[in-house]
This record gives sequence, C-alpha cells and structure tokens, in this order.
Amino acid sequence: MSEKKIKNIFVTGSIAPEFIAKSISNHSPKTSIGGHSIFLGQVRKDEVDGKLVSAVEYTAFEELALTKMHEIREAIFSKYPLSCLHVHHSLGDIKAGEICLFVFTSSKHRKPAIEACNELVERIKAELPIWGKEIFTDETHQWKENS
Amino acid sequence: MQIELISFGKISDFISNQILEIEGIETTDDLKKHLEKNFPGLADIKYKLALNKNLVQQNSEIKNRDSIAIMPPFSGG
Repeated sequence: MSEKKIKNIFVTGSIAPEFIAKSISNHSPKTSIGGHSIFLGQVRKDEVDGKLVSAVEYTAFEELALTKMHEIREAIFSKYPLSCLHVHHSLGDIKAGEICLFVFTSSKHRKPAIEACNELVERIKAELPIWGKEIFTDETHQWKENS
Repeated sequence: MQIELISFGKISDFISNQILEIEGIETTDDLKKHLEKNFPGLADIKYKLALNKNLVQQNSEIKNRDSIAIMPPFSGG
C-alpha cells in the first residue's frame, strides 16, 4: 500500500447538487482531462407491503470502510489511466429523492473514466462496510439489502 | 478475558455494543459458535467479523481486550 493519506469519503447528510456542480467546475483548470464520468445514487421511495420509504439512514464502520476505500482507490488508479477520482458517501438520514452517493472519475479519454466509475460503484456497494436502514412513513424500519 | 463487541446493521437491532466476558475462547471460530449460541438471531444471518478493525478472512487468535465487530451483508450506495 502506498504512503498516500487515507481520504475521508463520508459526509453527514445528503450530497447537495451545488457541491456536485462545484466539484465539476474545480476540474476546469485541469485541461488534460477530456472526459468525466459521474454516478449519483439517489434514495428511492420504495413501496414495501403498502408502506412507503421516507428516508434511508446510513451507518458505517468508518475506519474499516476508509481503509478498504483506500485499497480500492489504489487498485483503480493502477488499472485505469485516470487524472482523478472522487468518492463521497452520505451518513445519517437521507430523504427519498436526495443524493447519497457521488462517484466522479476523470481521464484524458472517455472510456477509462466510464469503466473506472462503473467498477468503483460496484466495489463500493459490495465491499464497503456501510448499511442502509429504510425508514417508512409510519416510522417503522427495515434494513436495506443490496441487489 | 474481556472483548469489546460492536455490531452493525440489522445485527445492531438485537446485539448492542458491549464488553463481553468470555472464557475458553481462543479463536474467531470459537467466538462465532459462542455468539450464535448466545444470540440465536445470529445463526440465520450471513455475517462477517472484524478483529481490531481488520476483516477476518481466516480463523484468527483472540486476545484479551480485542475489539470484535459483527457485520451483516453491506448495503451502502
């Protein structure tokens, strides 16, 4: 593992569209970039047994998640020719319709950006110790399971 | 000896974070059997352990004051 500092990916609450816009504009000075790929995860108002999901409450085993994310980040950087890579995941209550995951990859050309972004999203969902609790409008809950 | 137990996700609904007093348990496999006996809900759930913040991938030795996390399947994103 490299000596690079472990980055925090967690933010409390939802990810604001303004933050995403700002992240995009921050890349304007990096003029070797020719393509960005962005994935945004949004909380879905699922219906389960006639009850509607009003929010998902995310918790994580943060230290383990950040160590794992660091490994994934290193693996993705060595597999794809990326200029940069950013991951932000929400913790706490995220209401239906709000953004809970923001994955952003940039490269000289589109294909590495798109493929790296896809692989990152799949690995984040499968490998990071994060749990979503679906809160229904009647305040009951069920634990989310990734499909 | 004493271990610190931390639980996550749906497991946190029936196992609270606690200091657990255990005797005659030396490995993570022993501990799994012990936990499944004492917390019957655990036997029907897929879960992984982390020992001192490292994912347990093979049977590992447990020492006094170790921290053990019990983690159900992940559901982030």
